[in-house]
Amino acid sequence: MDAASTQDIITSAEIFDAVYQFLKWLLLSFGYYKIFEKCAVNKKWAFVPLVREYKLGVCADREYEARIYTILTLASALIRLARYFFDPESLSYALLGVLMLSCMIGQLVYSIRIILGLIQIFGRRKRWLFMFILFETPTTLYWGLSSKFQPLKKMGLKEMTVESSDAHLQDIADGLTVNITDRTVTDFFRKKALLKDIHMTIPKGHMVLLLGGSGAGKTTFLNAVTGYEKANASIQLRENDLYKDYEKVKYDVGFVPQQDLMRGSDTVLLTLSDAAMMRLPADVSFTERRKRVQAVLDEFGLAAIKNSLVDKLSGGQRKRLSIAMEYISNPTLFILDEPDSGLDGVVAKGLFKKLRSIADTGKIVIVITHTPDRVIDLFDDVIVLAKDSSRTGRLAYYGSVENARKFFRKDTMEEILLSINQKEEGGEGRADEFIMKCAKALKKDTKRKAG
Amino acid sequence: MIMAEKNAKIRHQGRVSQTLIYLGKLFRMLVFQNDWKVLPMSAVIAGLVCFVVGANLFKTMEGTLMGSFAMACICIWNGFFNSIQVIVRERPIIKREHRSGLHITAYVAAHMIYQAFLCLCQTVITLWVCHIARVTFPARSMFFSNSVIDLGITLFLITYCADMMALMVSAFVHTTTAAMTVMPFLLIFQLVFSGGFFSLSGSALKVTNFTIAKWGLTALCSQGDYNSLPMVTLWNTMVKMENVEYDGLKPVSQALNTIKEQNMQDELLKWSGTQNQNAKYDFSPDNVKKCWGFLILYIFVYSGIAVISLEFIDRDRR
Repeated sequence: MDAASTQDIITSAEIFDAVYQFLKWLLLSFGYYKIFEKCAVNKKWAFVPLVREYKLGVCADREYEARIYTILTLASALIRLARYFFDPESLSYALLGVLMLSCMIGQLVYSIRIILGLIQIFGRRKRWLFMFILFETPTTLYWGLSSKFQPLKKMGLKEMTVESSDAHLQDIADGLTVNITDRTVTDFFRKKALLKDIHMTIPKGHMVLLLGGSGAGKTTFLNAVTGYEKANASIQLRENDLYKDYEKVKYDVGFVPQQDLMRGSDTVLLTLSDAAMMRLPADVSFTERRKRVQAVLDEFGLAAIKNSLVDKLSGGQRKRLSIAMEYISNPTLFILDEPDSGLDGVVAKGLFKKLRSIADTGKIVIVITHTPDRVIDLFDDVIVLAKDSSRTGRLAYYGSVENARKFFRKDTMEEILLSINQKEEGGEGRADEFIMKCAKALKKDTKRKAG
Repeated sequence: MIMAEKNAKIRHQGRVSQTLIYLGKLFRMLVFQNDWKVLPMSAVIAGLVCFVVGANLFKTMEGTLMGSFAMACICIWNGFFNSIQVIVRERPIIKREHRSGLHITAYVAAHMIYQAFLCLCQTVITLWVCHIARVTFPARSMFFSNSVIDLGITLFLITYCADMMALMVSAFVHTTTAAMTVMPFLLIFQLVFSGGFFSLSGSALKVTNFTIAKWGLTALCSQGDYNSLPMVTLWNTMVKMENVEYDGLKPVSQALNTIKEQNMQDELLKWSGTQNQNAKYDFSPDNVKKCWGFLILYIFVYSGIAVISLEFIDRDRR
């Protein structure tokens, strides 16, 4: 065989290999295209390397793993590229090889996690993992094309089906006016709407219950209202625009987190004194500050234990101290994220009574709680947030507690919560219905006021 | 509008006042929490190192290199342990306080002052333990009348620089587990790339410029007048080869006897040292100033990175 014919054979083999690789890629991409279609994930990404792996993770409800996998794949490719610039005999080349191997091990682990997630979403047995690893292309095609393989829940974003109210409420003089158009985040390769179309006015002196299922956007809503995480919105607290004057107005907003985030090695008195120094204006004299600290200690029943270490306090005492730390600056808007978590019924009731008395002094108190019915008589209003069909937090109701019962045709807050929760969460899955009803009511109300 | 104007005029505590508030908290923690334990721990570690390498420190070239390396290592160890968990363990608390007006620069500044105090105490303790263990301090001083003060500054800067590096890690990671996982890697990196104890060449040698251990070790060896010290390796090797025979003779033994008879042992050790001098360990203030300069630079770089990474604390997941 002469040299020319040998060259011809090698070239043909290369061409055959290239065609085979292309066909394999095409078939694999098509398989993923069909899987993405089933998961309601944007199908075109099935043909884009890197993004495809990430989107598969979204499909499999393993978004975090998908991110790591994508980063590892990218790093691995970059290292492979970098190795071309080094001498294969050099130490740097060998070190890059070690790094690449580490990335590849990581890729394998994370791809297994993603595939297992996909298998779980499709409700299949774990043994399919081996099929995906050994015969990726035919398995993907089979899953994509066969109608027997359907996801139990669709993780991709669907088109919005619930219309917006397009409302914009007029500011009220002595209260909180919330006009949130939307709150979105761009997360890796996709834009997510966390909140949309939430409008309300809360008068001063009102104690408001914030109700919503898991992931409905309660904390996102509160962060948007307080200006901590800004939304496409206008938030007016009395005469102040919370977003424009955030640095100044933030001291007029007290936010008590769910956990009691305090240093256990400090005493109650010193914790409160430091909070007073941080939150009260700088020109407040030492004497005035001390008086304020003493007054708050008395008001929250902490005077007797003021010299105790925070670590030694009971759950109820710690919670009161956590609230007192925010209350020390006498904020107009007072927000509490599950203040009753970990407290028994009697202590929780006492705490809510205290919050009621704070609201009665002309403050606005907004509270998230998962056990609202035992203290519902203390609230004036209720905000109900729910996830719509595109999993965006929307307003399902805002108004008095009594009207909420009529609106949802339920007797208790827990029943209301069940009615808006998704079916896979054990709820009735009627969120869209109430969001629509609420949006229509808001639209009607806005038109009436404008007219 | 009146309310808005009123709000605009209200001033809250600035960075300096906040630094003082947090400094108070940290010193209270020193007493009420377990932070004070790092002080006796530094005494124990210094005692162990003095026991193992103290005898030849600042006496012979080998003893000085090994001892200085060990001293740099204990300083780095102390620094790392001082602050590797201090920020990460209270990260959710910082997030809450940042939300209600805490300046991150004030918070980090308070930590820097407090950690400087801890490092200073540890340096004094280490020097005191060395004194008790009868470690010979360098005979000549460079900047102050007493060489102990010169040495103390170097030990303090090494400890403080390591402390700031650990503070940076503590500000960067999100869990104490992650911090404690990263720490051994950093420690090994410092030890391997100290540039004096292990032979490195090429790009690996350049990497040593980024380690605290390299600048600490270089400063300590310079202050210990490494290049004027005798080297004993040659003598010890010759003694080990004393009984080697060649053509029925014992040439090494004969040479050793001649050196001993002519009382040239010290001269040989000195001569051996002269052949192994290292320009970077010259007893020169410029050398030491350069090392201190790099350590100070890294202190600011690490604390700067700590501030920047903590500024993003609001993005922490709930």
